[in-house]
Amino acid sequence: MVSEQALIADLQHKSKQSQAFEVLVNTYKERLYWHIRRIVLHHDDADDVLQNTFIKVYRNIHAFKGESKLFSWMYRIATNESLSFLKQKSKKLGLNDMEYQERLVENLQADVYFEGEEIQLQLQKAIATLPEKQKLVFNMKYFEELKYDEISEILGTSVGALKASYHLAVKKVEAYLKED
Amino acid sequence: MKASDKNNPFKTPDSYFDKFSDILSKRLKEENIEIPKEDGFILPEGYLEDLHSNIQKKLEYKENKVVPLNPYKTYYLVAASIAALVLLVFGLNWNTGQEIPSWDDIANTDIENYFDNNDVGLTSLEIAEVMSIEDLEITDFLNSELSEEHIVDYLNDYTDDFEELNLEEDE
Repeated sequence: MVSEQALIADLQHKSKQSQAFEVLVNTYKERLYWHIRRIVLHHDDADDVLQNTFIKVYRNIHAFKGESKLFSWMYRIATNESLSFLKQKSKKLGLNDMEYQERLVENLQADVYFEGEEIQLQLQKAIATLPEKQKLVFNMKYFEELKYDEISEILGTSVGALKASYHLAVKKVEAYLKED
Repeated sequence: MKASDKNNPFKTPDSYFDKFSDILSKRLKEENIEIPKEDGFILPEGYLEDLHSNIQKKLEYKENKVVPLNPYKTYYLVAASIAALVLLVFGLNWNTGQEIPSWDDIANTDIENYFDNNDVGLTSLEIAEVMSIEDLEITDFLNSELSEEHIVDYLNDYTDDFEELNLEEDE
């Protein structure tokens, strides 16, 4: 496997860029897809955001200074792209963030790429009730199993604050599932 | 069922003690509800395999579409878009005898709407991160002044509306 530094160097080198980009896409596509999918919920939207994320990475790789890991930088772009996408969509529909989230979850039942049972649907409803930051932290920790310092680098939040957010999120999700 | 102690006046429903363990374990299960690890999302078949070629197609399409003006192309393009918007307003009002709108006449909300509704390569969130709309000056994102000649050349080469603007000007 190519080291991250070598990959960055190749991406910034005109003649090697195309091949390096293919390696980059193939290395990170799955992790970034699931990260985005859990934010936007529907496959078509996740596909749009994922492609835009990689295009943005390709266009801005020259500006990447290596101050954070490439992986964290890409995750950060994917997160911002996903949140902007949701905001634009909700704005177009004239809904606030919470109303739009509820609609997204309701539409999951009709989504051919969602095979969850009742408990998975309830789980998505529970996650939809969380504030944005808690939602991100919950997904990144519970499903993606990222470490706190990785999440901290991506979201720019202290590890202590992340732990508190995750703890609160788990309590709220559990309470929602119990209630239902 | 009768109480074992003959002096006990209380009794329980039939089979109460036989069913008690099941009822208790069901209750415990409800109390200790576990968040499922599976989220139920699935992928279309072959999606990830085709992803790179799909992105490549999109990149090639977008790259053919982009018209680079100078190395500061992103900001320059945004500036040119705004300038085109100003010229359009100017052109539409040419014969009306109204005052020519200045930069200050464009409401911030109009500029925000323009960015929201047009593909300028940056999301409104990203633009907001790097510059405050209130303090925005044209010199903030251009290292040299955008001359009228450049704008006219740009519009002449890359917009369909330019001829239409000229026609209105001649009338």
